[in-house]
Amino acid sequence: MLIETVNIVLLALLAVTAIAAVRLHDLFAVAMMFSIYSLLAAAMFVLLDAVDVAFTEAAVGVGISTVLMLGTIGLVGRHEQPSTRRSLLPLAVVIATGAALIYGTLDMPFFGDPTAPVHQHVAPFYITGSPSQTGVPNVVTSILASYRGYDTLGELAVIFTAGVGVLALLGLRRRKRPGKEETTK
Amino acid sequence: MSGVLDVLSVVLLAIGTLFTLIGGIGLLRLPDVFTRLHGASVTDTLGAGAILLGLALAAGWSLLMGKIIALLLIMALLSPSTAHALARAAIHGIRKPWLDEAQK
Amino acid sequence: MTLTITLIALLVTMALALIRAIKGPTVYDRILASNALGTKTVLMIAVLGFVVGDPELYIDIALMYVLIGFIGTVAVLKVSEFGNLGQPQSRTDPEDT
Repeated sequence: MLIETVNIVLLALLAVTAIAAVRLHDLFAVAMMFSIYSLLAAAMFVLLDAVDVAFTEAAVGVGISTVLMLGTIGLVGRHEQPSTRRSLLPLAVVIATGAALIYGTLDMPFFGDPTAPVHQHVAPFYITGSPSQTGVPNVVTSILASYRGYDTLGELAVIFTAGVGVLALLGLRRRKRPGKEETTK
Repeated sequence: MSGVLDVLSVVLLAIGTLFTLIGGIGLLRLPDVFTRLHGASVTDTLGAGAILLGLALAAGWSLLMGKIIALLLIMALLSPSTAHALARAAIHGIRKPWLDEAQK
Repeated sequence: MTLTITLIALLVTMALALIRAIKGPTVYDRILASNALGTKTVLMIAVLGFVVGDPELYIDIALMYVLIGFIGTVAVLKVSEFGNLGQPQSRTDPEDT
C-alpha cells in the first residue's frame, strides 16, 4: 500500500518534470530537468526491484548524459530558437500514435499475470535455476551479467565507443577557441 | 537497553523529518540563491544526518550500520563541498546577493 | 510508523524542490534544487530499504547514488562557471575574472 503510494507520487513528479522540460526554453534548465527526470526514474526502478537498470539510469542519466548535454550547450548556445509554426499536425500524429499504442496494450495480459505466455515459456527455468547455476541472488542480475554476459559486454563496448566519439567531437571544437594551441593543429 | 535505542532512533528520525521539511519549505520560500542555500544545507546536514543516524540505530550493530555510517560520512563531506562550489559559481555568475531593503 | 512519516516528508520535500527547479529563476536555483532532490532521493532509498525490509541492498544503491550525484553536480557547476568542463585553457576566458 505504502509502496504503491510512493510509486504514484514518483510517477506524478515524473510527469510534472517532463511537462516542465517541454515548456521551458532555457536549454540549461531543460538539461537540469532531464537530470531530475533520470533521478526520479532511477528511484522508481529501485522500487520495481530492477537494481541494474536503476544503477545504469543513475550513472548514465544523472552523470554522463547531463555532462554531454551541457558540453553541447556550450557549443550551440543556451536558448531555444522560438518556433514560428503552429504544431497542430505533429500533435495530431502523436495523439493518433499514442491512442493506437494504448489500443494495442488492451490485448496484452495484465501486469504480473502468472498465466501470461511470457511467464510460461523459459522464465520458470531461469527463476528456478539461476541461484544454483550462477549463485547470484537477484534473478535480473543473473540474467544480465551471467546468462547474457557476452551480450552485456557487447553493449558496453558500443556505449563506450559512442561516449568516446561524442567526447572527441565536443573536445575538438573546444580546443580551437582560446587561440593558444593553434600551432599544434 | 534495546528499548532506549529504539526510542532514540525514533526521536532522531522525527528530528530529521522535521528539518527536512523545514529545509524544503525554505528552498521554496526564501528570496534568492544564497538564502535558499541555507534551506538546502539544513536538509543536507542536519536532516540527512539525523535520519541516517536514526536508521543506523534501527539497524543495530552490524555491517549495515557500518554502511549507513559510511553513507553519513560521505554525505557530510560532499554536501558542504557542493554547497561551497554552488555559492562560488553563483557569486561569479550573479555577483549581487539579495539584501534586506533596510541594508541596501 | 515513524519511517512512513519520514518517507512522506521526503516525498513532500522532493515535490517542493521540484517546484523550485521549475520556477527557477536563475540557473543556480535549478542546480541547487536538482542537488537537493538528489539528496532526498538517496535518503528516500535508504528509508525505503527499512520499509521494504531489505536494507542491505538499498543502502548499497544509496551509497552509489550519493557519489554519482556529487560528480553530476560538480560537472554542472564547472560548466556554468567556466563555460566548459574545465580544460586548463578555459581559465583564460574573458568572462572568468
